[in-house]
Amino acid sequence: MKPADQKDESPVYQRVVLKNASPYHYMKVCLVLENESTRLSAVELKQFIITGLKSLYGEVGAALNFDVLKYDADTLTAFLRVYSRGLVKLWSSLTLLGSYQNQACAFRVLQVSPFLLALTGNSRELQLD
Amino acid sequence: MSVFMDLNLIYTGDRTGLRTLLETAAHLGFSTVAINYVFEPTSKKKQVKIVSSVCKHLCLYQGRSRPIRVLNRLTVVMSDSSHFRPNATEYRSFDLLAVQPTTEKLFHAACMLYDVDIICISVSEKLPFFFKRAPVNGAADRGVVFEVSYSAAIRDSTLRRYTIANAINLMESCKGRNVILSSAAEKALELRGPYDVTNLGLLFGLSDGDAKEAVCSTCRSVLLHAETRKTASGIIYTMRSCSDSAGQEGAPGDPEHGGSIIDSQTIKPSLASDD
Repeated sequence: MKPADQKDESPVYQRVVLKNASPYHYMKVCLVLENESTRLSAVELKQFIITGLKSLYGEVGAALNFDVLKYDADTLTAFLRVYSRGLVKLWSSLTLLGSYQNQACAFRVLQVSPFLLALTGNSRELQLD
Repeated sequence: MSVFMDLNLIYTGDRTGLRTLLETAAHLGFSTVAINYVFEPTSKKKQVKIVSSVCKHLCLYQGRSRPIRVLNRLTVVMSDSSHFRPNATEYRSFDLLAVQPTTEKLFHAACMLYDVDIICISVSEKLPFFFKRAPVNGAADRGVVFEVSYSAAIRDSTLRRYTIANAINLMESCKGRNVILSSAAEKALELRGPYDVTNLGLLFGLSDGDAKEAVCSTCRSVLLHAETRKTASGIIYTMRSCSDSAGQEGAPGDPEHGGSIIDSQTIKPSLASDD
């Protein structure tokens, strides 16, 4: 019970909007090749993505800085990091990449998030049995 | 509600390829796909036949309990106004009708007059005509959508330039509404996931919301438009019986009966027409 002389203060709410909370965006991608036994190293993968950027956006696109944080050579799955300004460019050039050394390929983008922690769980791969 | 649809998977005659294509589409998260039979009246080929036996054992798509829904679509590549015959009997077995005009006159006619669902924007050539606001707005009022296919951009760099150029031209005239994005994929590796296609929409000049709509809600409105086009003023409707191996239509419903046979493929006519 509050004392009678204490004024009732209405609760003060404050809305915090985070614009561009994270400077980077993280992507989990998987490369699917026509010939499934082909293997790439991390350097070759980065080079391949840079050629994709270059063919779609030219030299300015190829200068976009991105990092391959982790790469699994057996499943050809990689974690990429790019500045948020360059996300659309990188993502669209991954989508339109069609061939690796004369064999058909496809980049499957599995997860995209501004926070790296969000890439640890993927509800699409949940097995509900 | 976001059900993603890819309404353009080219039929090439290869059964196993088609099966892998459908499985990949289901894995990627598309709830509905349409197998596109491209018909060019100038070539000497006879009328196309639908593959109906693919409808068994369809795989479940991501996280849902129902299998992927496969529709049939016909695309008529028109270079002359006699190529598209409205109310032709062969068109009845297809769920979706599309037209690909090659001249400005045909484009205008297709937007304003023809009874189709989709107008395809060709990607293999630089369009010989510009889009005018009048036919584009007329098509939007009638519920006809424009379609841009992206798999040519994956295959070849010249086609990539044409695709992007034609798409940007279209978006300027139609202001981003009534557009669908679809692959014209022949192989499973040419398909891209729905969010990848949404991102490509940003590249073509759509806004964020319009790009997502181009993959989900505009596609759904195309399906509804196709169903109402087939129901002939909402009274008589035809059903496709999956048990029939040739995939032929069942008998048209009786107008007095009005809705006695309910199938999951048909919609019950909710209002009778005024005439």
